[in-house]
Amino acid sequence: MNQNFLYPLYIILFVGFTALLIVVGCERQPTHPRQPIDFSHKVHVGEYKIDCEYCHSGVRSGPVAGIPSVQTCMGCHQLVAATEPEIMKLREIWERGEPIRWKRVNVVADFVYFDHYPHVSEGISCETCHGDVGQKDELLPTPHLHSMTWCVDCHDTYEASKDCMICHR
Amino acid sequence: MEIKRRDFVKLIGAASVATALPGCTRQRPRNLIPYVIPHEEIQPGKAVWYASVCRECPAGCGVHVRVREGRAVKVEGNPVHPVSEGKLCSRGHASLQGLYNPDRIQQPRRKREDGRWERIAWDDAQELIADKIKDLIDEGRGDNIAFINSHQTGSLDALINEFLNTVGSARRLNYEPFGYESVKKASDTVFNVEKIPQYKFNEANYIISFGSDFLETWMSPVKHAREFGAARELQNSRMVPFLHVGPRLSMTATNADEFIKVKPGREYALALGMVHVIVHENIARGIPRAQLNHVRAVVEDYFPREVERITGIQFEKVEKLARTFAAANPGLAVAGNPSLDGNNGALTTAAVHLLNYVCGNIGRTVVFEQTDLLENIDSYANMRRFVRSMKQGEVSVLFVYDSNPSFTMPEASGFNAALEKVELKVALSSYLDETSAQADLILPVNSPLESWGDYEPSDGVYGLMQPSMKPVFNTRMAGDILLSLKALLNNDENDASFYDYVRERWREIHQRLAPNTDFEEFWVGSLANGGRFTDAQTMTVQLNDRFAKQTLEELKDREPVEQNGFELMTYPSMNHYDGRGANRPWLQEIPDPMTQMTWENWVEIHPDDANRLGIRNGDKIEVRSSYGVIELPAYVYEGIQPGVVAIPVGQGHSEYGRYAENIGASPILLLSASLADVTGSVKWSGLDVSVVNKQERLRIANVAGSDVQGERPFLQVVTVEELIRNSTREEKEEYPQIYEPHEYPEHRWGMTIDLNKCIGCSACVTACYSENNIPVVGKEDVRRGRELSWIQIQRFFDAREDSDNGRFLPMLCQHCTAAPCEPVCPVFAAYHTNEGLNAQVYNRCIGTRYCSNNCPYKVRRFNWWDYDFPSPLNWQLNPDVTVRTKGVMEKCTFCVQRITDARQEARLEGRDIRDGDVVPACQQTCPTDAIVFGDLKDPDSRVNQLRERNKARGYHVLNELNTQPAVMYLKDVVEETTS
Repeated sequence: MNQNFLYPLYIILFVGFTALLIVVGCERQPTHPRQPIDFSHKVHVGEYKIDCEYCHSGVRSGPVAGIPSVQTCMGCHQLVAATEPEIMKLREIWERGEPIRWKRVNVVADFVYFDHYPHVSEGISCETCHGDVGQKDELLPTPHLHSMTWCVDCHDTYEASKDCMICHR
Repeated sequence: MEIKRRDFVKLIGAASVATALPGCTRQRPRNLIPYVIPHEEIQPGKAVWYASVCRECPAGCGVHVRVREGRAVKVEGNPVHPVSEGKLCSRGHASLQGLYNPDRIQQPRRKREDGRWERIAWDDAQELIADKIKDLIDEGRGDNIAFINSHQTGSLDALINEFLNTVGSARRLNYEPFGYESVKKASDTVFNVEKIPQYKFNEANYIISFGSDFLETWMSPVKHAREFGAARELQNSRMVPFLHVGPRLSMTATNADEFIKVKPGREYALALGMVHVIVHENIARGIPRAQLNHVRAVVEDYFPREVERITGIQFEKVEKLARTFAAANPGLAVAGNPSLDGNNGALTTAAVHLLNYVCGNIGRTVVFEQTDLLENIDSYANMRRFVRSMKQGEVSVLFVYDSNPSFTMPEASGFNAALEKVELKVALSSYLDETSAQADLILPVNSPLESWGDYEPSDGVYGLMQPSMKPVFNTRMAGDILLSLKALLNNDENDASFYDYVRERWREIHQRLAPNTDFEEFWVGSLANGGRFTDAQTMTVQLNDRFAKQTLEELKDREPVEQNGFELMTYPSMNHYDGRGANRPWLQEIPDPMTQMTWENWVEIHPDDANRLGIRNGDKIEVRSSYGVIELPAYVYEGIQPGVVAIPVGQGHSEYGRYAENIGASPILLLSASLADVTGSVKWSGLDVSVVNKQERLRIANVAGSDVQGERPFLQVVTVEELIRNSTREEKEEYPQIYEPHEYPEHRWGMTIDLNKCIGCSACVTACYSENNIPVVGKEDVRRGRELSWIQIQRFFDAREDSDNGRFLPMLCQHCTAAPCEPVCPVFAAYHTNEGLNAQVYNRCIGTRYCSNNCPYKVRRFNWWDYDFPSPLNWQLNPDVTVRTKGVMEKCTFCVQRITDARQEARLEGRDIRDGDVVPACQQTCPTDAIVFGDLKDPDSRVNQLRERNKARGYHVLNELNTQPAVMYLKDVVEETTS
């Protein structure tokens, strides 16, 4: 059997597969994370103007901003929007006494140590790095949070230390 | 062109490799799991500390456990605990590797008929035991139930007794392989009290050790080291002299100003000779005339020339020593060591008690306390009696808790054979060791770091233990197991917890110590404090009237028969103690301070003997006694008496997990079953053995590049005389510079290390492993020089021509101002920070190793592999420090994570970093305070003050290379032992 007619198919498959590998293999960022609950920053921050620190309370006192406990969510959602399907999910989780397994959106490498409190205490606003989350229903990875240039540029502007040991140790 | 399917597959393969090669690995999204209900004490990313007690040996140091996100990541000494005062030894640090040991037993197991293990549920296991016990009680054989445990005090001790009462048995053994039989016997003979005194090294003006390794393993090494360090503080260029008399240059001995080598078991003669001189020259203190005559009569045979005959020490020296010691007022003579047991241990200790008595040291530097719980430790004689009852079938159920008698009892004692007669053997153990391997049922217990409890190491010290984290595995506290069993036996529905039990006992302590306060406050305060600490109730002792010349003769052990030419001496290993440390990988990899051996045990043999037998370092030799035979590598050692071979105890496990098994051999196999004649202890020493060269080289992993430093004085030593004569610094400081000088706008971090205080204990090394996620590389890689220790304790024997003592040099990155490592890095991974650190950026490093080649101190370490932290050992990793990967250079960072922390704390409080805010892990744990870190730009900082006060002693290692290190060493000092 003459296989020559398959030749273009091979080429297409080859190119396609390689492209796929590049996309998948070189993807430095988590792909589109599926969250267990359809939480919207747009609703909480954009519409209801809840302060970031109401939920991310560790930001002024510790290295990590922290994800609110289920208890914090239920503090409002005992009453607020209690019949919405996503809130019913939350209530179920709460009643089972389980934590919510959120998918991590922004992941920095293990050799990078970023501490929130020195930045926030110097008056850097959350939006400077995280953007206007009040516009977004769903959070996707923020590419600049993973590039050293972004950090260094800002340290340059504010004349902060650019010693390697500040972040790498 | 025709492409076949096969080619297509090949191409695709090549393409995937090509895409993978650029190193973009995909990071999978990870979960972020917040609390359901936030814990009020825990903030993610911040550490919480819990106070507890270290239970790795009977010393009972107070500890603080650092917990990050619910996992214990580091153990440090508790500053308010009177035993540890913030310090901790290597074994204490390695308690974490007991907690996270990958070979821990994870759930209860039962042995099947065919000898294999099967899982069993907790309830089933406990019912099985309860049924068996009920049957025995019904048959009236409740006393056939027995309990062996490591030394316990407080709640667990009380509970074990209560449990045995419930079943109607009194067969309980508080078993420690290294008991204190000879000290108890000596105190009983001399003072009529069967107690072990406490020694106050920091109160003494002169210290003599008669074969006692008090800085290593004996009684309370951290406390002793701390107080010893204080005693050796230089005052106007003078310090407390320290003399060691003994058969072996141990780590303690090597710290002495003078080490007098005598045959094992002859130390007593010097002590008695000194007493003889003191009572005859009328320089005794604080004893009535009548007693003086009494003592004269006791020691009348030991005139100095007789001492010279027995020990080989010149009689003039004996006289001089006696006069100097008596004049010290108070001095401190200390004896007692397992190595003495069976070899005039009781006699030596009695002689030393007498020496302290005639010098008026009793009650000042040697203190007997009302409560001495170490005296509850059962003697080997009791263990032997117990073996006999096992043999006779008088023991039907045996519980073994936190103890490994199958390994530590001499094989010839028949313990293992007798164990087979026991119908139900229950191991309350975390590990599958030699004893639990023979059990029928293993109930895995919590590590001390996961447990409630309390421990009283000495009078008035009530240490309180609380769990620092939830149990790693499906294990329970020993106390909870006993309470459940008790409830099952009494058909009691009410299952009280051990936590309640401990609290109830603390109500009594509350009543005793602070009856007028609120209990809840007292309890919470005690938890935060790590216990309650009050002054010890001391007691005065008087010389026993019946103590006579003949008594001394009765205390003498039989002279060893010499047939095969060698006398065996065994001693507890510094890292493994009685063997319980052997499954902690840190303790295997961190070298023994004297021999610098890792992953091994060895036979120390004198060069003369070695030459005679044609033995070189590392040759396999056979040591044979009438009871057993073992083969080990030789360590040819000047520090041992000719005709004596010494072997450390602790290795040679047949069971005990991957890190302990098949390493070395246990000298316990050589020991005789019989008791030491006088004390009823194991005869750890004095056994007649033969040594045969097996003509085979063994691959040993010794990290000492050389025992001698030759003409390059890395380690410098002065005598007090030289120090007084020459009080200026000789070092040349000004050299021409090629590079632009560095500017340090805020801080310049530096360190001062006082070699006079460093005792070589290596606690700093272990602390550094723990703090900085340093992997363990294993024996083969250590052999190739690939160990990753950031700080190592180098040992040299030739620092002074007039002494053969080994001396220690803690060697770490010197953080040079003109660092040779920095300019050679092609990728700027090694660079100089503006605070003076020689930093290493791991993510930049491409592994050329140029920096290491150019470093004259050889302190840079290269990751030849991705090293494994087998789960759950990886739980111990410090989240504040990067785990390095293959191909990356690493080195001491001066604990930069702690500097960063301190800076941010200071910033939050709106101030500058203060002196003492940054304490690196090595300084934090150093029991003698030999290491001080701080800002060199601050003239008032401790690190600068220390340099200022000790100008004459300061030097930089390899100063002539003009590297300008930030680490300054203060020369070791030798004090005169006779005046």
